[in-house]
Amino acid sequence: MNKKNYIVNFFTYLFLIFFTVIALYPIINVFTISIRPGNKLLSTSLAIIPDGATFKQYAELFTNRPFMLWVWNSTIVSAVVTFTGVALASTAGYALSRFQFVGKQSSMLALLTTQMFPATMLLLPMYIMLIKLELINSYLGIIIVYSATALPFCVWQMKGYYDTIPFSLEESARIDGCTRWQAFYKIIFPLAAPALVITALFSFMTAWSEYIVAAQVLQDTQLYTLPLGLKSFESNMSTEWGLYAAASLVVSIPVVALFVILSKWLVSGLTLGSVKG
Amino acid sequence: MKITHYFFLLFLVTLTFWGCSKREAPEEIVIWHTMRPEETRQLQSQIDEFQKQNPGIKIIQLFKETEEMRSGFIVAAIGGQGPDLVYGPADQIGPFEEINIIKPLNTVFPKEFIDQFNQKALIYSKGRLLQIADKLGNHLTLVYNKKLVKVPPVTDKELIELGKKLTIDKNGDGRPDQYGLVWNYTEPYFFVPFLTGFGGWVLDSLNKPTLNTPEMIKGLNFIADLRDKYKIIPNEADYNVADALFKEGRAGMIINGDWSWSGYGESGIDYGITPLPFITESGKYCAPMISPKGYSININVKDDKLQKIRKFLEYVLSPDQQLATTLKTKTFPTAVALYNHPALLGDSVLQNSRRQIDLGIALPIVTEMRAIWDAMRPAYQAVLGGSITAPKAAEEMQKAAIVKIKELREDIYDPVGGLIVQILLFGSVAALIFYLRKTIVAFFKNLSKDKFAYALALPAIAIMFAVIFYPFAYNIVLSFSNMSLAHINDWTIVGFAQYLQVFKEPQLYTIFLKTLIWTFANIFFHVLIGVTLALLLNKKLPGTPVFRTLLILPWAVPQYIVALTWRGMFNYEYGSINLILTHFLSMSPIEWLKSPVEAFVAVIITNIWLGFPFMMIIALGGLQSIPQELYEAADIDGAKWFHKLKNITIPLIKPVMIPAITLGVIWTFNNLNVVWLVSNAGEPSDQTHILVSYVYKAAFNLYRYGYAAAFSVVLFLILLSFGLTFLRKTKATESVY
Repeated sequence: MNKKNYIVNFFTYLFLIFFTVIALYPIINVFTISIRPGNKLLSTSLAIIPDGATFKQYAELFTNRPFMLWVWNSTIVSAVVTFTGVALASTAGYALSRFQFVGKQSSMLALLTTQMFPATMLLLPMYIMLIKLELINSYLGIIIVYSATALPFCVWQMKGYYDTIPFSLEESARIDGCTRWQAFYKIIFPLAAPALVITALFSFMTAWSEYIVAAQVLQDTQLYTLPLGLKSFESNMSTEWGLYAAASLVVSIPVVALFVILSKWLVSGLTLGSVKG
Repeated sequence: MKITHYFFLLFLVTLTFWGCSKREAPEEIVIWHTMRPEETRQLQSQIDEFQKQNPGIKIIQLFKETEEMRSGFIVAAIGGQGPDLVYGPADQIGPFEEINIIKPLNTVFPKEFIDQFNQKALIYSKGRLLQIADKLGNHLTLVYNKKLVKVPPVTDKELIELGKKLTIDKNGDGRPDQYGLVWNYTEPYFFVPFLTGFGGWVLDSLNKPTLNTPEMIKGLNFIADLRDKYKIIPNEADYNVADALFKEGRAGMIINGDWSWSGYGESGIDYGITPLPFITESGKYCAPMISPKGYSININVKDDKLQKIRKFLEYVLSPDQQLATTLKTKTFPTAVALYNHPALLGDSVLQNSRRQIDLGIALPIVTEMRAIWDAMRPAYQAVLGGSITAPKAAEEMQKAAIVKIKELREDIYDPVGGLIVQILLFGSVAALIFYLRKTIVAFFKNLSKDKFAYALALPAIAIMFAVIFYPFAYNIVLSFSNMSLAHINDWTIVGFAQYLQVFKEPQLYTIFLKTLIWTFANIFFHVLIGVTLALLLNKKLPGTPVFRTLLILPWAVPQYIVALTWRGMFNYEYGSINLILTHFLSMSPIEWLKSPVEAFVAVIITNIWLGFPFMMIIALGGLQSIPQELYEAADIDGAKWFHKLKNITIPLIKPVMIPAITLGVIWTFNNLNVVWLVSNAGEPSDQTHILVSYVYKAAFNLYRYGYAAAFSVVLFLILLSFGLTFLRKTKATESVY
């Protein structure tokens, strides 16, 4: 176009590159740990490819450790939590955005307050409760806890996004003969795609990376999720750093993959601009 | 799809998972242990062998990190559950015994069985045998690199002379490239040998602290001299730095425990073991703490299972199995029958290890040790940081230890205050119901009228409250109780005593201020960087999908390892951040982890890095809701970019950003992990705490659960008042259109 735009674009790229380097550098360090021989977390050398680099930790992970079992377990748990999160948050957020009802303000506040209490203190009573309900060593127990952990953010986030969608859309849908549910499900729900993506990512990540509750609830090694598995490489003053770093990188791949898949709806879904309000 | 179909589907999915995720509790023996990986592998192979011989018994071993073992086992055992066996160093036994969650073993095993072990391996308290160890040691020794050290030093003088010779600046940049001696000297456990070397000790026979002594002062000065006067140890070294230096052959000697030795062998270091040096001035050897490691049985184990457990312990503690373990892991056995075994006599590592064990002093198993460590650490690190002198540090340690032991032993008893609070609690619940009576009636009336809205909103709200209500109410009650080491199982309501203690806490206000700085610095940069990046990415220039994907990586990679990587990057000598500062920006290096302010900045930088991608994703989503027409219209009006930003972008992404910012503040305020990992639990000198990590450390280390609950309620109220104000100001519960 013109000269000014080139300059703007140049600085845009410069800024993006700068932050990408900052974002990547520590992760490259993790990669270096994963291929460094001799099980060292730190090194006095800054070389990205260390002397005697080896991929044997990755091989070890997939051959001698039940890594795939943990991946599978975590996938199941995270998938259910994601589904529950999206289903419940998209509906609850909609109700909170569109309707006036008794208890609305207080439930929104109450959702927030659940996040305000330091989580470590809630562990003991939560554990006692799960024992009473016989939910120890069961995915149902942690799925409920994870959903409850993820929901306050997801509900608020969905509510905030629905707030930006004009009421007139439903009104015209109702005039065209939609029921209230249809107006939500067919018109508004698809328009909220970016927020749904965020809700899905957040719910997924909550379940994918949670450790403290899982460690208390899941005692059976067959039920281990990824964070519990990774933790088994740790040890007081003799952690298997190479293995831990390798596993950490492998564990992030599904998260990135999910993000790449969902990005389509995050940035270029049906935007409001295409639907004249 | 109708709404009823939708909920039916949801219900079905839930049921399916209820069905397939439910597992019957299997009749198996569960062991929690703190073994290192090679010991774990050895245990597993022994378990496999045992299961082959005893087909009816299934055994599961689970690794737990020390702190987690302690708190996890206490929580589980109080809940009537938990592993059948716990394996770990003897010092965890003190609290377990006081809380009464382990069985006496002399009622389980016959005397002949018990008699076959070294006396040091049998941990008794008041005539009850609480632990039988299979390994002796956990002791520090001097490890040396045979390539650099031909004759290991015996005395402190020799150590210093040799250290000077080995500390070499090869490339002449003013910084040594090889050190004489390295070790994790900032940690009190690694300092104790020098305290004992000058003749001091931590507790007297009545378990009173003995930290303010001339011996302590000499020990502290000795360490400072090694660094500042003789310059044979690095300026800044934590465990991982010391480990890396020795493994790379850049240190002649390291002080480390029996757990580390085989790792040095695997890294290609030809290493030797020798006892810690003899201190000429006192005429004593530096004596490390010795701690046996072994098995204890959970109090909740039923009698029928006990027989199986007994059988397993008889197997795994037998001399044959101990010998196998010793040969594999170089740990020292407890079966007396093995002590003259040729395999032990012929191994120089094991023999020197034994010499060190004989010189060592048993680590007290009393719960007071916890207070001693917590009291020593801040003052010790302050001496090393140069902010106080050794005599002052000794005095402060002693004072802190006395306070902490008092806190540990606190026993609040106030039936009157308890009664008042009970009446108040019931009264306020009743008053609340009375106050809300009209709302409750209106709610039920509305329920049928606004069926649609409630059907959508209630499932999420219900699941939240099902999960959170009981734990929350439990903590409120606990905050008025006297639950502490003295009353873990029989706590009662005592009134406001714990709250008074919270507000009397001298450090409360400075830490609160730090928490505010921590929270707002983080959120400010999260939002600033996140939104800026989102705006740039949203321009949809070629290549943005790649940047977008790379930029979320800090969010995707597990926090634990990156937080520790950042800690490494902040290292004074070898960290990349200082190298960039000195080489590219010609600045002087910063002592990131040693000075309180810099350490706090380091923690904040790490957390900013961890958190900006998430804000970026949210902002990116929020930007999609802005109709492009608005910008086009603004362009026609000739609006500048900052006008568009101020009048279109910011108001329209506000509804999406407000929830994220609100929750971001709440989460950051209560974010324990990052502070804990990067600052290594509040180092230096407990100066990098925020409220939540402070309460965690102060309360959980000393078992002050009632106090911790009261502290948490205070945190909750702070956040609640923030939340209410912020939401009122931003009108986030209202709609924009």
